[in-house]
Parts: sequence; C-alpha cells; structure tokens
Amino acid sequence: MRNNSSRFIERSITGALSFLRNSVFADDIALQKGYLQARDPRIRAAGIGVLLLAVLFARSALFLSSAYLLCLLLAAASSIHTMFFLKRTWLFIPAFAFFIAIPALFNFFTPGEPLISLGHGVSITEQGLHGAVIFFTRVLTSVSLAVLLSLTTRHSVLLRVLRIFKIPQVFVMTLGMSYRYIYLFIETVQNTFTAIKSRVGHVSSVRKGQRAVAWNIASLWLRSYQLQNQIFSAMLSRGYTGEALILYEFRAGAKDFFWLGVTIAVFVFGLWTNRYLH
Amino acid sequence: MDKSVFALEDVYFSYLGKFPALCGITMQVQKGSRVAVIGANGTGKSTLLSLLDGLSFPDRGTLYAFGEQLSERMAGDDDFWRLFRRKVGFVFQNPDIQLFCPSVREDIVFGPLQMGVSPAEINKRLESLCAVFGIAGLLERQPHQLSIGEKKKVAIASVLAIEPEVLLLDEPTAGLDPQTSREIVDILFKEHEKGTTIVTATHDLHIIEEIADAVHVIGGQKRIIRSGPAEQVLADQAFLQENNLIHTHSHRHKDTVHTHPHTHCDHHQPR
Repeated sequence: MRNNSSRFIERSITGALSFLRNSVFADDIALQKGYLQARDPRIRAAGIGVLLLAVLFARSALFLSSAYLLCLLLAAASSIHTMFFLKRTWLFIPAFAFFIAIPALFNFFTPGEPLISLGHGVSITEQGLHGAVIFFTRVLTSVSLAVLLSLTTRHSVLLRVLRIFKIPQVFVMTLGMSYRYIYLFIETVQNTFTAIKSRVGHVSSVRKGQRAVAWNIASLWLRSYQLQNQIFSAMLSRGYTGEALILYEFRAGAKDFFWLGVTIAVFVFGLWTNRYLH
Repeated sequence: MDKSVFALEDVYFSYLGKFPALCGITMQVQKGSRVAVIGANGTGKSTLLSLLDGLSFPDRGTLYAFGEQLSERMAGDDDFWRLFRRKVGFVFQNPDIQLFCPSVREDIVFGPLQMGVSPAEINKRLESLCAVFGIAGLLERQPHQLSIGEKKKVAIASVLAIEPEVLLLDEPTAGLDPQTSREIVDILFKEHEKGTTIVTATHDLHIIEEIADAVHVIGGQKRIIRSGPAEQVLADQAFLQENNLIHTHSHRHKDTVHTHPHTHCDHHQPR
C-alpha cells in the first residue's frame, strides 16, 4: 500500500512529463513529408479553420460522417499512423461527448417517434438518436481537425500563424513561453523527486508523498517568479520594448490555394446538405 | 577623444535595499579592450554585468556608458535605450533564461528584429552565425531539446546577431566540455579581432589569459581588490588562493603524489 502510493506520485510525475514530451513537444510528425506538412502553414491553418466552420454549421449526419472520413484520409496522406491518430482523437473529449449524448437518446429528454422500446414507457427515439449522432460526430470531427493541425504543424510555426491571424500578441507570447518553460519546470519537479528518493530510498507514506508534492509546488512557484524576472531582463537586453516582432517567412503556391479551394467547396457543400439532406 | 565605454565610480548596489551585492566598485572599460571580472561565487560579478547592461541601476555612485550616466532618470529615454541595446549585448549565465523563444531560429533573430534590422540583413547574419557556430542543423529545434553546450552556443549567437560593439558575458564556459569551451574562446577571440569590446565575468581561470588583457578581482567584500594585466594577476597564487579562486589540490602522477595550488591551466605541469 505504501509502495503503491509512492509509485503513484512517481508515476504521475513521469507520466505528465512523458505526455508533454509526446504531445506538446513532439515535432516528429510535423517534420515528416506528407500532404498537410507540404502546405503553407497559413493556408493549412486557414483550410482547417474553414473545415471546422463547415462541421460546426452542418446538420446532416451523413455530411459529418463524410467529413470525419476526410479527416482520416488527410491523416493517412500526412504520414500519420491511423491507430495513433484514432488513439489521439477518440480519447477524452469524444469519449466524454459520447456519454453526454446518451441521455438525449431517450424519449424523456428528446420526445419523438419511438425507434426501440425498452419497456416501462422508456424508448429511444428517432429524433434522439439523430441528435446524439450529430452531436457526437461533430465533436469527433472537430477534435480530429484540431489534432490534425497540431500534429502537422510545428509548435513554433503554429504560434507564428496565430500572430498572422491577428490573435493578440500578448496571448500568443504567453502561450509560447508557457510551452517553453513548462517542460523546464516539470523536469525540475522530476529531478527534485528523484533527489528526494535518492536520499530517503522511497517516499514511505501518502502523507510524506503529499508533503513532498506540496513542497515542490511552493518551491516551483518561487523559481518561476525568479525566472520571470530574469527572462524579462533577457528580453529587455535584446531590445524588447513591449511589442515583440516576429519574422514571417511563409510562401504560398498554387497547390496551397487548391487546398484552400477544396476546403471552401466542402464548406459550401455542407451548407447545401443542410438544406437538402436534413 | 574619450575611448571609455563604461566608467564606474564608487558604485553601490543592493537587492531589496538590504542585501548588498556591490560595495564601492570603481573601474573603467576602454573601447576595444578585453576585460575579465573574476571572483568567487556570490561576489557580485553577475550583478555588475547587469548594471553594465542597464538592467539595474546603482543605489549610489555613478555609472557612465558611452559618456551618458545610467540611472533611473534615463528609464523613459527610448531613443537612448534603442541605441544602447544595439551597442551592448549581454550573454546570461543560464542559457535557459536567454533562450525564451519557441525555436532556435526565432531566438537568434529576436534581437535584430526588435531593433528594426531588415529581414534580408537578418537572414544574412543568421547564415553567417550558423556557419561560425555550426548550428544550422539546430535552427528548427526547440531550445529545451538542446544540450547545454548547444544552448550556450545559441545564446551567444543570439546576442552576436545584434552585432554589438560591447559584449558582456556571464560565465560563458561554465559547465561546458573542453571542446565546446575551446570553440567559444575561439569565437570570442575572433569577435575581439573585429573590434568588439569584451567584458567577461568568470571564475574559470584557465580561459582568462585567452579572453582578457585586463583583470579585475572582486573580493568577498564585494569590491574590487586587485586590477591589472591578466598574467600579473594570475601569477599571484597566494592571492588567488586567499580569494577562493584556486585551491590546494593533491593528486598522483604515476608513483608520485604531490600537492599544489590548483588552476586548470597548469595542473598537469607537476612542480
């Protein structure tokens, strides 16, 4: 029991670090050759944005399912392993969306034509099933599109693209720095925990483990406070005056605009299906 | 014509007004000179560089840079600071502080971009620095993915991209392997040949004769206790030992164990 608690804290820290390494900082897919990687990052992001809008406005389950298939095709064309992509997109948000959508199936939440009767006056309605499928496929496709963009675009490039789309500079810079330093801090926590273990063998009880974590949080807060002052000095020293400038070196070609054209066509088709396939 | 870049007269500085960091520093740095500030840990070397870079201001005493007094009153003078930042580059001791951008490329171009250098000129500088430091393959990497030696090189490159007239370096070779340390010393040597003034704070005595002509020693009282030509200051072993810059060291050479004051530059020349 004691060893389990010790391992739980260690596993949590190691797990957090490994998750960050694999998700936030992994650039390996973005550096591979693939269809989306070859597109200009601005146009790639704009195209994904248009597809997201199409998914948000769509009311046809057929269109949403087709859009999800398009995501899978894009992932395959962008050198993303299908199983890896499915794992990344089906975990968490779509899974939660599925559970949230379950009550909407039943007649006491969504009255309508009974499709399957479960007895005692409870039934799954056609309207309920339709609503739940629309909700779930919309969430799944939206998450898949967002994951596609983040996997095929290096983090630093993504931040530059956000600036091009007029996302406020302070927000983008804060985001960039958070990503830059969160890794440093997690590594510090991991090292501190290893140092504690190397001196006392292992964290022997839940209470001691909790104390070590609390101490780590306090120490980390102080370090981050010191670090922010020093980083600001480093920025000032290199000419920062409150508005950081960024060098843009993107070039768009005919293939990029073709991609954007296709996404716009999908958007228009999505609107058309709302009228004729609903 | 006055060739003084920095002139400090009886400078005092303390943190939060109660933790003294510098107590009466008087020194001058001439244009084109190479100066080393040495001292044990906690003697105020980094604080002194921070003052020279205009990141902090003296509590007492005067500090002149390029003939202008640096003080709190200058804080709002944007034109002065724009010019000052173009002239003075500061390499921090901890490269993780220096490298705050999402990629190496962005870190290197950050300085010149803020200073209004044209994109064509920035790319030219970037290309040249990549060749000098051998970091072309690191440009798209994130700073946390680099080794300490690579981080240090990129940190120095990010400051040299500004093409400063004065280069301030805080422990540029601390914790580096001999090869990387050598490369950095060579780069500093070339920078000085171009006319750059170099001020280095360090306690790595083995590089001092190569990177500095004049040495200022800061003692435990946080004031300069000796100044002079590098070879002269480094020759006084008793003085260095007294100020925690070298230590008595016993080791074996084949069958002989011997003891002598230890500096890295001479410790394989048995006495």
